[in-house]
Amino acid sequence: MSSSTETKPKLAAQIRDLTKHYVLKSETVRALRGVSFDVPEGDYVAIMGPSGSGKSTLLNLLGCLDRPTGGSFMLGGDDVAQMSDDDLSGIRASRIGFVFQSYNLIAQLSVVENIEVPLYYMGRLNRESRKKSTELAGMVGLGQRLGHRPTQLSGGQQQRVAIARSLVNDPYFILADEATGNLDSVTTEEILALFQRLNDEGRTIIMVTHEDEVAAHAKRIIRLKDGEVVVDEQIKDRKTYTAEEIEEISKNAHLANQADEEN
Amino acid sequence: MLSLRTWILGLKSLLLHPMRSALTILGIFIGVAGVIWLLAIGEGISQAAQKQIEDLGAENIIVRSIKPPDEAGASVRTVEMFGVSRAEMRTIESTIPTVEQVVPIRELPQKFIYAGNQNATPIDGRLVGCSPAYADVTKLKPARGRFISSRDMATNDSVCVIAAVLARKLFPSEDPLEKPVYLPEKKEYFKVIGVLEPRNATAAIGGSLAAQDFSLDIYIPITTMRAKMGDEEVKRASGSFSRSVFELTQITIEVESPEEVPRTAEVIEATLRMNDPQRQDIAVIVPYELLEQAKATRLMLMVAFGFVAAISLVVGGIGIMNIMLATVTERTREIGIRRALGGKRSDITNQFLVETISLSVVGGIIGVLLGVVFPFLVIGLRWLTYTFAADTYAKLPDIAKTLQPEIVPLSIPLAFSISVIIGVLFGLYPAIRAARMDPIEALRHE
Ligand SMILES: Nc1ncnc2c1ncn2[C@@H]1O[C@H](COP(=O)(O)OP(=O)(O)OP(=O)(O)O)[C@@H](O)[C@H]1O
Ligand SMILES: [Mg+2]
Repeated sequence: MSSSTETKPKLAAQIRDLTKHYVLKSETVRALRGVSFDVPEGDYVAIMGPSGSGKSTLLNLLGCLDRPTGGSFMLGGDDVAQMSDDDLSGIRASRIGFVFQSYNLIAQLSVVENIEVPLYYMGRLNRESRKKSTELAGMVGLGQRLGHRPTQLSGGQQQRVAIARSLVNDPYFILADEATGNLDSVTTEEILALFQRLNDEGRTIIMVTHEDEVAAHAKRIIRLKDGEVVVDEQIKDRKTYTAEEIEEISKNAHLANQADEEN
Repeated sequence: MLSLRTWILGLKSLLLHPMRSALTILGIFIGVAGVIWLLAIGEGISQAAQKQIEDLGAENIIVRSIKPPDEAGASVRTVEMFGVSRAEMRTIESTIPTVEQVVPIRELPQKFIYAGNQNATPIDGRLVGCSPAYADVTKLKPARGRFISSRDMATNDSVCVIAAVLARKLFPSEDPLEKPVYLPEKKEYFKVIGVLEPRNATAAIGGSLAAQDFSLDIYIPITTMRAKMGDEEVKRASGSFSRSVFELTQITIEVESPEEVPRTAEVIEATLRMNDPQRQDIAVIVPYELLEQAKATRLMLMVAFGFVAAISLVVGGIGIMNIMLATVTERTREIGIRRALGGKRSDITNQFLVETISLSVVGGIIGVLLGVVFPFLVIGLRWLTYTFAADTYAKLPDIAKTLQPEIVPLSIPLAFSISVIIGVLFGLYPAIRAARMDPIEALRHE
């Protein structure tokens, strides 16, 4: 594992002929049947497809949570397909940011502590990293709630903590599996505005979604069917927020937090 | 990554379920305290036994005379002499080179009374004829006056030395020294020349040496006893009549060194049984060997008690394992999150191990504290029963009244480290199980 964290490659990820088979007792499920595409740095990809088409399987492979049955997955200069379990853990800690549908914050930990978890596993916890986590919390509008527990936050707030957490290790890309699936339309807007801001700042984002509304905010769409890529194209009429809209949405979100604060 | 943070995190997780953690700790500290307590009780018992045997003298060999059971219909005229004889004593003294000195002892149950107060009720005690060496061999010290001297022996003087308790009973308000004691059964007077320091009773040892209480003894020169009372004892009590003839009740043989004791004892036994290997009227008691036996018994006691205590620790360990398995299942999701965010398998293992080690260390510390105060607890409890429930106290068995637990110093680090080892051992399986989970499955867990 080369520590090329400083010099990010032009390609955030490159996959070739990726296959994933689940061998069950009675049958072999071929969840991915040879998927190839590149993700250049700064891309914003929406992965869509019917249920069971292999979206989550693909995302798990991209997130190094699982190893492919065949094919290659180049992350930086390293082929992840060949790595040991411990190496994969290291990659997850240092190069990947996860945002889950169900937020997945750790209940015992406060907002800042949750944001710090990847750094903890990188062995990079120190006063500076605490400063960075605090800044990230502020960036997602939770600067006033550093010491709060996940159970004391709304769903949208929890998801924003999760996004801050996904940024803390300065990852190659952020993976979001139905990140807005549990949220109402207003909060969904909030999260999408945040994603766009991050993407505008140069972050690479790969998200799985069912909703065309959500997918419309991405730059590029990949459609899967039965484990194969059927569509891979740039989105022509991409929906974007103007700088003022982003400002407005995040201000509202911050106001909501402060109102909560005074109760 | 067993950093401070890992420990803090572990403690936080434990504090999320204070009751559950407390109960788990309870299981461990009962086990640890149990090890220390049981070993302390075992040590207390065996030390008491060893002390009693040591009181008999490790370099002594004791030969007791045993009165044969009265044969039904035995004629009064054909009473035979029993027990060890003066001749045998002289043989032992003069022919066995490792023998330092021999003390002859002849004991008679007697009634005593202060001659200056003949109306008082006689006190039941024991008249002991002995030689001056008796004081030396049994490590007796006169509190006042002196012990019997060889001059007393030579002149068959009617002098006596009395035990502390008897002195107080016979002479409640007077100085016993130089006062006459009267033996109504023998119609004899003895002048008190010394009062002894209080002396502990000895326990019964095996079947051959009965428990002895020295508190009501009167010691006189054995020569005087022979001259005034002979070798025959006649007892008349409400219609029954018994005669017995014996020269000595006991001889105590002091050997040069404890190492010589076993061999000397064999020679003595052989000498005494030369003519009749089957003779039943003597018993040779070797405190040194008893001491060795007691030490072996102590070891067995320790092993047995330790084993019982160890079982309770294992039960505590199973408690830990049980709780940790439940915790791991309950926190499957958290495990998945931590793995997804870069936690290695070893990080997860460590995280759960830290929790079990914390539980067992805290349990171990409380257990050690509780174990160390145990002797005081026993004293306190005894005092409470004695003060507030005297009736119950009187009914307590002797052992409960006298046992003093002796903490075995080694048992503290032993119990503590066993508790930690058990924590690790029983925590390892749940921790490894947690680490082995597939992160994707774990993330899906509700
Ligand atoms: N652990 C597994 N064992 C066996 N089969 C699996 C496993 N995980 C996924 N599959 C199968 O692989 C295929 C793809 O599943 P995947 O979860 O990737 O679908 P998806 O596109 O994410 O669907 P959804 O939109 O419902 O989340 C499905 O047929 C599924 O049953
Ligand atoms: Mg899915």
